[in-house]
Amino acid sequence: MNRTRGALARTGQYLALVCYLVFLAFPLFWLLSTALKSPQELGSVDPSWLPRHPSLDSFSAAFEQQPLARSALNSLIVAGCAAAVSVAVAVPAAYAMVRYRSPVSKAATGWILVSQMFPFVLVIIPLFMVLKGFHLINSLTGLVLVYVVWNLPFALWMLQGYVRAVPASLEEAAAIDGCGRFRTLVSVVFPLLTPGLVATVMFSFVTAWNEFFFALVLLKSPEKQTMSVILTHFIGAEGAADLGPLAAAAVMATLPSLLFFALLQRRLVSGIMSGAVKG
Amino acid sequence: MRRRDFLTTTAAAAAATGATTLLGGCGSGSGGDSGPLDYLSLAWQKESIEVNKALVAEWNKANPRSAQVRYVQGSWDNVHDQLLTSFEGGAAPDVIHDEANDLTDFAHGGYLADLRGLLPASLKKQIPDASWDMASFAGGVYGVPFLQEPRVLIANRELLEKSGARTPTAQHPWSWAEFEDVARELTRGRTYGVAWSMKEPVNQSVNLALTTGGAVFHREGGKNVIRFDRADSHVVELIHRQVHKDRTAARSALGMAGSDTLPGFFAGRYAIVPLNFSFRQQVEQQAPDGFEWVTLPMPAGSGAPGGGQLQGVSPQTLSISQDTKRKKTAMAFIAFMTRPRHMARLAEGDWLVPTGRDALREPALNTAEHGWSTGLRIASDLRASPVLGVRGYPEWKDKVATPALQEYYGGSISLSALRDKLVEDGNRILARYQR
Amino acid sequence: MSTTAPATAKPPHRGTPPPRSPAARKQALGLDRDAWFLLLPALLPILLLSAGPLLYGVSLAFTDAQSGRTEVTKFIGADNLVDLRFDSLFWSSFKIGLVWAVCVTALQFVLALGLAVLLNQNLRFRWLARTLALVPWAMPEVVIGIMWRLVYHQDAGILNATLSDLHLISENVDWLAGVSLALPAVIVVGVWAGMPQTTVMLLAGLQNVPHELHEAAAIDGAGVWRRFTKVTWPALKPVVLSITALNFIWNFNSFGLVYVLTGGGPGGATRLPMLFAYEEAFRYGQFGYAAAMGLVMVAVIAVLLTIFLRNRLKGDDR
Repeated sequence: MNRTRGALARTGQYLALVCYLVFLAFPLFWLLSTALKSPQELGSVDPSWLPRHPSLDSFSAAFEQQPLARSALNSLIVAGCAAAVSVAVAVPAAYAMVRYRSPVSKAATGWILVSQMFPFVLVIIPLFMVLKGFHLINSLTGLVLVYVVWNLPFALWMLQGYVRAVPASLEEAAAIDGCGRFRTLVSVVFPLLTPGLVATVMFSFVTAWNEFFFALVLLKSPEKQTMSVILTHFIGAEGAADLGPLAAAAVMATLPSLLFFALLQRRLVSGIMSGAVKG
Repeated sequence: MRRRDFLTTTAAAAAATGATTLLGGCGSGSGGDSGPLDYLSLAWQKESIEVNKALVAEWNKANPRSAQVRYVQGSWDNVHDQLLTSFEGGAAPDVIHDEANDLTDFAHGGYLADLRGLLPASLKKQIPDASWDMASFAGGVYGVPFLQEPRVLIANRELLEKSGARTPTAQHPWSWAEFEDVARELTRGRTYGVAWSMKEPVNQSVNLALTTGGAVFHREGGKNVIRFDRADSHVVELIHRQVHKDRTAARSALGMAGSDTLPGFFAGRYAIVPLNFSFRQQVEQQAPDGFEWVTLPMPAGSGAPGGGQLQGVSPQTLSISQDTKRKKTAMAFIAFMTRPRHMARLAEGDWLVPTGRDALREPALNTAEHGWSTGLRIASDLRASPVLGVRGYPEWKDKVATPALQEYYGGSISLSALRDKLVEDGNRILARYQR
Repeated sequence: MSTTAPATAKPPHRGTPPPRSPAARKQALGLDRDAWFLLLPALLPILLLSAGPLLYGVSLAFTDAQSGRTEVTKFIGADNLVDLRFDSLFWSSFKIGLVWAVCVTALQFVLALGLAVLLNQNLRFRWLARTLALVPWAMPEVVIGIMWRLVYHQDAGILNATLSDLHLISENVDWLAGVSLALPAVIVVGVWAGMPQTTVMLLAGLQNVPHELHEAAAIDGAGVWRRFTKVTWPALKPVVLSITALNFIWNFNSFGLVYVLTGGGPGGATRLPMLFAYEEAFRYGQFGYAAAMGLVMVAVIAVLLTIFLRNRLKGDDR
């Protein structure tokens, strides 16, 4: 009896998972199908899930009209750097904020929330002026810097949650074993944070990859523009869009993030095992 | 004004960049005299982007290094935000492609150069006064209007011929009453006579008021005021009547943007769709094989000036940033882009009507195909949209007019309630900008 | 998966600072040199590029700042806030914003928790499921908006087509243009778009739940629900608090999606307050007034958040 119940529960789980995935992933399918349809089919009142006469015309049009490959490379550089720097800077800080009771930690925590609450439209203009003062307009470095600062509050706030979940007793044990402060951090705490770290890296990467407004106002040279800016070039006045090429370009813009996810998701597995056993 | 500009800028900069002054305050504006001029183009259609880039390349080949131009691609979707940020931050493009409607606040804010002293005589003569009106406000000319887009009726030829209705021409358009009759004839079974796409109802409603001698925005004692009298509301009432009484206009289309009505149009669900002139490109591209369509002029009002065929437009413009040091070069580039041949090529690429007298006569555009000739014939009926140059118009549009018109067209408020909102709430907003 | 477990694992608590060397260290603001060393790389850029611009933005709320350089900006005290009190359009949009933020955050959390628990199981093709579950996250916002507009399209939308194929509706539904349907329709898109990051954060949090506790509880005969409330929930709680609080703020502040979908229509039914502030600043150039709106929104959210977080924290101590 126990076994049938187990099997039933399993089936239920798979069923629920499939429902979730259909809901979450069907637009990717829809996007692909849109990219493969002809303009005539897109203007039809009788939409179908699968293109009737699939063609790659939209893809070639998208590559012809806009510098997609170049912009993808720019996006990759910017998002990669932003993610790496954000996390490198955020992990130690989040740790310090949790483990030390200090007015600085408190002020920082308050700041994190306020900075996420204030309308970003009002921050953009002064930020623009600061960057101009540093001659960081029209430079990818400037954009990376903006993204790092933009991601930091989130990264700090989330990582604090994960640090709090790490049993402090582990650190104490390590200290008793004679590990120094930084040794303890590197060999005991960080491994335990791996899932949280991975989540944060993913987050920072995707935010930077998708971010649009700063990239729009900061980058002027066509050869520096990122993918999300290029995408809007397929949209005309009054929301009219060149659907086929837009969908094709959007597929190209979506895939790298997904690939990145597919590679990284294995790392979402707990570090407790590896960390604790070695430690 | 100069000195005040300077003071404000300094004050703002000082307040804004406390952090900058602390750290790297030495940095001043970039750009300046060296490097290419940035030309922000909003060309969207593939052909138009190609023409723009080709013209820029041609210019760069013929001119010395100091006058080189860099093509920067922008998008209609976000041009206002992009410009506002870069103007405020002091790093705007030198030559700016935009729409007259969007220039009002930038011109008042002192960000755009007044072109009056810069315009070459030939260019001034090329473009009729009615078009120059469209870019003139605050006592100056702030852009060269070069492309314009009237509204037209795009009709399903088969359904139109079957109904037996007279096919209107630019010389002899339908009257509004005739249009209502035709819509009734066309409404059969699942087919509606017309689909008014009203996701953005305000511009169309105001611009079409000109056909019946209205304007909605009037000048009284040197101030802008809103009125919504019979002549102003004639077309608005007619649309309401078609949706709710005659049921010749599809109610569901009211929430759609222009391009959303096309699938229904191709499927014969809507016989006529009033759309902007450039939508012909999408119709041409998406129409199923064998689908035939015609471009017709908008209906005309009776007893109104211009034979009731006038309509308001907000043209596309080329402007120069006030901060540019090389205004003469920028102007020379604009003059190059708007030479008759070039203007006609740009118009063709974006499926729009050029403003220039000679450009309108270019053989490439004078073809009956795809309704080109209809658009060119009505070019002389186009006037400055009454909303151009009115400060506070965007706020009135978003906060008052869009919701009120949506509610009225949707049938949830009456005409008098609509009038109250548009006029009373509206004038209060305009008053704030005209203190 | 993990079968070995650390011997010391127990329900986490806020740790004490790691033991220090006996020599009393120099402290500044309660932080020793090590702590400053850890904090500074994050604090410096924040102070420069976030705090500066933000304080400037806040200060605008007390001026009549406008776009353009022809008007001199003056200090006007609390005039903007007084004006705002009587701005009924703003307050009605504020209400819409609260409904939107609460609904989206709550649905996001419930759905994402379910998904995270499922993805944490040892199922087949888990890597594929995990990747596919993140699809919405990988799509740029503009694309999401345009794509959902296609899905909801009245004549040519796949939603109406599918529903009428299944005979669930007899006439095409006007999803985004109907006054009553527009807000729920955009809420669905909001939930959809925000689910992946919530799921990933919760999934990462679930990984921190000590396994042997689960097993011990199972041996003690605790059911699934009891195990969840007694073991999983306490360990997950810090992460839940963090992500819910942030989600609420983000959702309240987001407007890009809705802007693409409905532009705030029909008749203002989906006009979120941040869209309002955005238009005030970027469309009408009223920087001062928009900053005042921002300030009011910050204040209200801060109050709500304090109530939310304090209750949860008190619950923690019990």
